[in-house]
Amino acid sequence: MSDAVSSARDEKKGSRLGPFAAVALIVLVLAAIPLLTDSPYLLHVLNLTFLTILAAVSFRTIIISGQFPLGHAAFMGIGAYASGMMAKWLGWSPWITIPLGTLVATAIGIVIGYPFSRLRAVYYAMVSLFFGIAVVQIINAGGVLSGGYSGLTGIPPLMGFSKTPYYYLFLIVTLVSLLVLYRFETCRVGTTWKAVAQSYLIASSVGVNEAFYRVYALAVGCFFAGLSGALYAHYNFTIGTSSFDFVATMMFLMYGVVGGMFSFAGPIVGTALLVLAPEAARGLKQYVPYISAGILLIVVYGMPRGLIGLPGMIKGLFARRAKDGAGRAYHAS
Amino acid sequence: MTLTLFVGAIINMLFLASMYILIALGFALLFSIMELLHVAHGVIYMLGGYLCYSLSVTLGMNQWLSLVLTVGIICCFGPVLERFFFRPFFRDFDRTLLVGIGISTIIETTMALSKSNEAQSLRAFATGILKMGPISVSNERLVTFLIGALLLLAVMWLIHRTKVGLQMQAVGQDLEASLLQGINIYRISALACVIACGLAAVAGSLLGAYMGLGPFMGDFVFQKALVLVVLGGIGSIGGIFVAGLVVGGIDAFLPLFISGSATSALAIGIIIVVLLLRPKGFFGREMGF
Repeated sequence: MSDAVSSARDEKKGSRLGPFAAVALIVLVLAAIPLLTDSPYLLHVLNLTFLTILAAVSFRTIIISGQFPLGHAAFMGIGAYASGMMAKWLGWSPWITIPLGTLVATAIGIVIGYPFSRLRAVYYAMVSLFFGIAVVQIINAGGVLSGGYSGLTGIPPLMGFSKTPYYYLFLIVTLVSLLVLYRFETCRVGTTWKAVAQSYLIASSVGVNEAFYRVYALAVGCFFAGLSGALYAHYNFTIGTSSFDFVATMMFLMYGVVGGMFSFAGPIVGTALLVLAPEAARGLKQYVPYISAGILLIVVYGMPRGLIGLPGMIKGLFARRAKDGAGRAYHAS
Repeated sequence: MTLTLFVGAIINMLFLASMYILIALGFALLFSIMELLHVAHGVIYMLGGYLCYSLSVTLGMNQWLSLVLTVGIICCFGPVLERFFFRPFFRDFDRTLLVGIGISTIIETTMALSKSNEAQSLRAFATGILKMGPISVSNERLVTFLIGALLLLAVMWLIHRTKVGLQMQAVGQDLEASLLQGINIYRISALACVIACGLAAVAGSLLGAYMGLGPFMGDFVFQKALVLVVLGGIGSIGGIFVAGLVVGGIDAFLPLFISGSATSALAIGIIIVVLLLRPKGFFGREMGF
């Protein structure tokens, strides 16, 4: 949990130009992909990857404020179901229901945020986990309105059935959202979140309203999770609660830890690897859990700071500076 | 008529409570007392059930003998668990969680691939029905209830009355202070892991006979154990007794008033409200994470 907090220091190292050029190059390559290939399968996988990246990064945004939202995928589900049900049953245009669904997810995040801000650490994690289970079960109990166990089908598409327009839309939405989230993290609000996470006692003793900032982080995280879910509903046309349950939240955590929880880029790298690697091996569908679990175990045992920390780790290995003793031995918290 | 229904629900509550306590005991010993998040508890439970099945049904041993053997074999996982699960990631919440999930995924997938999802079930540990006037209880439920109560008492005695148990509490509460007292924390954690695995094996065998076996039967168990321990409060093993009664009561009485799939949503809603009113559970304390 405290990994994410020490990020500000690490990002200051080195010049800004290198990372900026790398990001620009990646964006250019991504923008060119639909021109080079017209394989709908590849575009579909990439579309899902964009939405998952958005959700995983919003998950990390809540974590840097010192909360551990183990029911985060439920907010994606709230956004998806709110938008999908409004579009299907009221006949509204998806262009209106997607913002509305996002707002519903944000509003629910704020409403539960205040009572939940009394809880700390493990108790918060557990209650949000139960909240996520409750949301899934309420949706399952919704009968014909929410589709129940068989899922909500026949959601109106956002713009046709071709994958390419969605690709560009999701690329732009994800990039803009990531910029906003990055800005949130590096500005004063983000610093306050990290302060609250490190020590809520010290933060509140210098006049930081702890509950407000925790709800703030939750609202921001839920906004982007809801957006991701709402877009997913109108892209996939069919949604089921199994995409938004506890396992889905664990996936977000897994992406974050594999990439490196301390860095903003961590969840992005982790999601890209862990969504795309099993897809590359889709011929062996039943063995896919082995691949993700194997990557996870290698990273958790071998790389304490995730894939993002790998270059630094190799450098440190050559410089023979075993400074980072995190997770080496029993040590008191 | 109504009275019979009511008494029936109370008996059901007691049975469910003992079942949930049986499930949660091993997990609670590690999570609540030692503050080790034992995510693989459900998988150990599942392995216990399958091992007991293969000993008693496939090899044709006596049911109770195979239960004892299962507990003995599963206990051997304890030190391994401590050395490779908990020692490298001590007090590191998300990585402990993820290692547990990774291992559980691998074991569950292996079981699902090798068992091909066929339904299997142990023979019942006790047959027949006990009749007391208008109400009747099956002996199987009675055995489960008795063993659950007995094990709860035993674990409570272990933690509060023996030296080893006091050492476990010390390690959970303040690691450095217990090191300074000369407690061998590795040995104490390993011992707790052995006991937890044994308890999971008992639960897996008994409830595997009652509810049937499946590669993913541990997921439900893990969820229930988590609810019980958090509701009871971290650091209190007696708390899971109260929490077990509360959760069992909710599960036994709610279906009398409402029906359908809304029951489970309402049950978990009640638990959330209780936790919001008492943020540390019934008898809990702050945690070291």
